[in-house]
Amino acid sequence: MDNSSVSYLESRKLVKRWSGPIPALVNTFLILAFFYATWWIFQDPRGLMRMYTPYVGYMVCRWLLILFIWLAYIFDFWPFKRSWLNKTHPLIKGAVLTLVSVAAMIILMKGFFVEILGNFGIAYFNPDRLMAMGITEFYAIEYAAEAIMMFAAIASWLSPSWVVACENAPWQKLGQPARGITIVLVTFFLSMIVYFVTMHSHMAILFYPWQKFTAICPPYWEEFANTVSGNFHIAWIMCCTVVVWLYETIWERYPFNLIKHDGLRRVTSFFGIIAIAVALCFFLFYAQDLVWGTTIRGTRRLMAPDWRWLHVGEMAIFWLVPTLFLNFYCNNWPTKFSRPVNVCIRTLLTAALAVVVYVIYYKTSHLFLGTQKGFSHPQQFPMIPMIWLINIFLINVWFMDGWPGWKAVQKTEAELENHQNDVVASDVKWTQGIAKGLGIGLVAGALLYFAIIKALPWVGANITIIK
Amino acid sequence: MSTNRNNISRRDFVKGAATGLVAGTFASMGMYSYSPWAYSQLPKTQRNQQDFGTCRSVRVTNISETSWFNNAHLIGDIHEAGGLLVNQYTLNWAPLANGKGSGKGSYEEGISTIKDLLPHDLEKAWEIQKKLSLHPENPGGYSCLLEVEALDGTVRKFLLDTGWSYEWMDSCFKREGIDQMLRDQEIEALFISHEHWDHFWGLPVTMKYDNRIPLYVHDGFYKEGLQYIKDSGYKGEPVIVNKPVTQIAPGMALLKFDVPIINRVFGETSLAFNIKDKGLVLVSGCNHQGILQFADFAFTNLKYDNDKFYGIYGGLHISPFEDWDPKYDDLVIALGQWGFELIGCNHCTGHLTAKKFVEAGYPVVRGTARFRSASEDYLGNGDKITFG
Repeated sequence: MDNSSVSYLESRKLVKRWSGPIPALVNTFLILAFFYATWWIFQDPRGLMRMYTPYVGYMVCRWLLILFIWLAYIFDFWPFKRSWLNKTHPLIKGAVLTLVSVAAMIILMKGFFVEILGNFGIAYFNPDRLMAMGITEFYAIEYAAEAIMMFAAIASWLSPSWVVACENAPWQKLGQPARGITIVLVTFFLSMIVYFVTMHSHMAILFYPWQKFTAICPPYWEEFANTVSGNFHIAWIMCCTVVVWLYETIWERYPFNLIKHDGLRRVTSFFGIIAIAVALCFFLFYAQDLVWGTTIRGTRRLMAPDWRWLHVGEMAIFWLVPTLFLNFYCNNWPTKFSRPVNVCIRTLLTAALAVVVYVIYYKTSHLFLGTQKGFSHPQQFPMIPMIWLINIFLINVWFMDGWPGWKAVQKTEAELENHQNDVVASDVKWTQGIAKGLGIGLVAGALLYFAIIKALPWVGANITIIK
Repeated sequence: MSTNRNNISRRDFVKGAATGLVAGTFASMGMYSYSPWAYSQLPKTQRNQQDFGTCRSVRVTNISETSWFNNAHLIGDIHEAGGLLVNQYTLNWAPLANGKGSGKGSYEEGISTIKDLLPHDLEKAWEIQKKLSLHPENPGGYSCLLEVEALDGTVRKFLLDTGWSYEWMDSCFKREGIDQMLRDQEIEALFISHEHWDHFWGLPVTMKYDNRIPLYVHDGFYKEGLQYIKDSGYKGEPVIVNKPVTQIAPGMALLKFDVPIINRVFGETSLAFNIKDKGLVLVSGCNHQGILQFADFAFTNLKYDNDKFYGIYGGLHISPFEDWDPKYDDLVIALGQWGFELIGCNHCTGHLTAKKFVEAGYPVVRGTARFRSASEDYLGNGDKITFG
């Protein structure tokens, strides 16, 4: 095996330029500075472009995320040559690859969704058509942006899932761009199906009368989710997006990578991610009920079921931030134990850090993001700054090789073999000790869960995050 | 050899336990969290019903519900300034515009152009601001008069909100005789539901007639809002509402809700009335907290006759810009279960919402569509409704 036979991200190893925590501190400082500068320029309601309207800014940050995933994970940086990636200065690479992603995003949003789909398929993707039917310009743009953004939410789960869970199968042996185009088309097609069965009804009841001839209204999930809003689907889909990255980064694809049979491993990974995400989704919804009380259908904000479902997705994204930080800038700490122990510690640690990020965000964000204090605001989506920050993480690590704290060096053959061990692992084998530990661990996990849900009402009654 | 086997076994045990801990937690989350068993364990709501007395009736006179006259202009201005999170004081609307264009306004610069004229020469102040502001013909305002009849038959008058345009609000006050009531100090208090332009910026019009009227504002008012109270010519000390429930009169209470609102406004106060033998009436400016949140708060915290919801008056803030969202349909579907007998909605409720309420068979009180109110679907300017 050599470096050219694997993807660029797999072929390189990021090496610290300085010892100790200095690289992480330097990168964190620069990333936060870049975050705030770009936030002010593009998103901040007090800043220059003010895209946080909110749906325009929401759409942009989500589609940027998809384009980054497509470029780095699915197209393996095609059409850029490996030699260019290896030799070019990270700053230049970061700028070029980001600008290419932005250009592709604009072409996709404006060209495909607005001009093609919006003119020849579904009117609500095109603001001009909505305006021609009497909707004010502002809401015409917002509705179209909402629909395009919702499509991105689905793609942000399915696109990386195909690479991470399905290991690019069955096209893993195709060269670029054939593989990239194929996987993009397939995941785009799947996203479209999922969009139609999860979001189209939401969009159809935005208009009066309900568009019953073209969408299922009221939607089939109404009774189960206690709302007609598509936020119910945003909840579990965002959890899927987050779980894909947990699985790829801090879980090192454990435990599904223990399955030796390729097909079974891929199918189990794909649906296992969904099952874990749904479990997380239900827990995060129930946790809110425990803290704030049960929802009241028809009301707004904090007590509304539609907002609670949305907030499930928002809380999940808060988990993604420390997860990626730990993986990117802390060398996936800890690494000295066995894989299951490392995974367990990282999961507990990042979950705890997610709570910290959540509390800090709600205590302070209104002081510097141009937003207002409060958990629930009809025009505020914490996913926008969180995804914006994640996008900058990705630019830094995927496009700039972690510059300036890190530099890329080529992996040795032995290191490349190690990577293959992540895909199909053999470090955990079924023994009596494992079985016994697993049984006791399952009971301990259940006890931990019940301890958390017992504590949450107390948290709600005694801890005030926003005064 | 035996020791070695034990070590290996211990390592395996830890691997299994670590895996099981994570798997067990997720499995419990999935199997229990959204299940009927989980919800059967939740404590029932504890009602802590505060007795705030009883009144015989409340009559509401709609002084103005038309906060603006052209939706496209209003939302277009907000759009141009950067959307629904932009600070309202930078939007460059009268009477606080500085002439620098969309999103470039500032309270200090805006008020400096008219401060000396408030509240005695509102015509001139408005003329000056017409030249500096965006769409100066668009402002209207929201305000209503509340006449509360006590059990002994005496009637006390209160004002909820004071509108936006000096020109429009002054004419509305004159139309309904509010100017004279203020001059005669018949109106006991002015409640500002929230800091938004269309409920609050017309304050100098009230000050012109009575600059010592007791004034209640939510404690989420920003410094610009508090300064505007002074700059409008107010000579009293505003009551900063910082308690969830404040009793105003027998059967009348002011309720405070801490909610973030569009264009950088925080918090709304609304009114609740206990009508003898009828039940609870909820009156709001915009109801940003949501009508059912309002009702649920009252259900938990107030004692009222027959334990019944009786009536609603005011803006319900559902589709103020004739926009829509599926969650609004949740309200249309759910409202019927709360059993309101009289729904006197208008203003930011939106015509589409009123239409959907009517289609759902709810008791929406229709209006007369006079004085520039656009539709008979709900109570318009000059219309009255009596609860009790």
